[in-house]
Amino acid sequence: MRRKASLVLLGFAVFFTALSPLLRWYAFPRLAKIPPSEYQVAVLEAKNATLLDYNQMKDVTVPEVNIVQTLRGNVAAAQQVKKETGRDVVVWDALSYIADSHGAMVSEIPERYVFDAHSQAPVHAAGENVDGDPVRRQGIEFKWPFLTRKRDYYYFDAQTRTSAPIHYRGTRTFHGLKVYYFEQTVPWTKVPLPKKMPLGVTPAVVTAAGMERWYTTKRMFWVDPTTGAPVNGEEVHQEEMRFIGHPEKPPLIAFAGDVRMRPDYVDSTVKLVKSQRQLVLALTSYLPWGFLGLGAALLTTSLVLEARSRRPGASSSADSAEPAPEPVPA
Amino acid sequence: MRALTAAAIGLAAALALVLTITAIGVPAGRTSPKPLLTTVPRHP
Repeated sequence: MRRKASLVLLGFAVFFTALSPLLRWYAFPRLAKIPPSEYQVAVLEAKNATLLDYNQMKDVTVPEVNIVQTLRGNVAAAQQVKKETGRDVVVWDALSYIADSHGAMVSEIPERYVFDAHSQAPVHAAGENVDGDPVRRQGIEFKWPFLTRKRDYYYFDAQTRTSAPIHYRGTRTFHGLKVYYFEQTVPWTKVPLPKKMPLGVTPAVVTAAGMERWYTTKRMFWVDPTTGAPVNGEEVHQEEMRFIGHPEKPPLIAFAGDVRMRPDYVDSTVKLVKSQRQLVLALTSYLPWGFLGLGAALLTTSLVLEARSRRPGASSSADSAEPAPEPVPA
Repeated sequence: MRALTAAAIGLAAALALVLTITAIGVPAGRTSPKPLLTTVPRHP
């Protein structure tokens, strides 16, 4: 009986011990993925910001400017890209809608971002664009990879349409979460004008008026390293309209403000991330270590039972297939 | 020999379980019918 039990325990010991690395190194990269149907909204606000009044062509201070950022996973497009590339991808159709304190549109920039559902690496497919301009992203945007590391990443800037390093600047505690803080400064760069601006102003009109748009920003993210999701973001953002060929003319400020995530969206993001990180931790830590421990315990029990069954005079002799022969008188 | 068989069965079961779970994968779902917002959501 002990012999059989030790064999069954050995089988389970191997089962759980094998599951440990299989879950961590095989299942995790295949199961931990951004759902292709993800839909998320984030609202950021800049208090006492400066905006360009296109009626008067002068900059004015307004009580607040809101940036509504919507990300919507396009499932049909993701399946199409998977057919073409063989990779599990997510296609995000995003819109950054900027509104003044009355809710009127200041500008809106749509973009399509295609990336690997697990590694977050960009995947280049038809339709990848920012404001209708085809782009070829390098690095990440919006989100960091699962199990974010303490290192710099390349981050795509939608205004300049280029990527540059975003630097790891240390570990912080944010709303009870241990997060990695990243920072990137984009120096003053000439950038394209948004295709949609107030009062029907078009890029051609602005260019005809002899102006071009320049931009700089200091971008900050607080990222949960387990899920790679930013739980907070901030940008010290400045945009100017400069007069082409007239450096002596003072530029017009198109937008200047300290853009921060609205507190209610910080709270909801933190809540979402706290629940999602448990799933990631289950696959990368809780289950692998738990199964390894269970496997070791079962193996130990199996060996103990086996040793006892081999001890002389052990009751396990009852397990023997054939009973001992009856003594025969000489 | 029986110990080897038991270990092989355990290993095969673990492989089969993980391969099945990963083959099933994560459901793709459907594209959300919600729009890309052009209004500022109110404070809750």
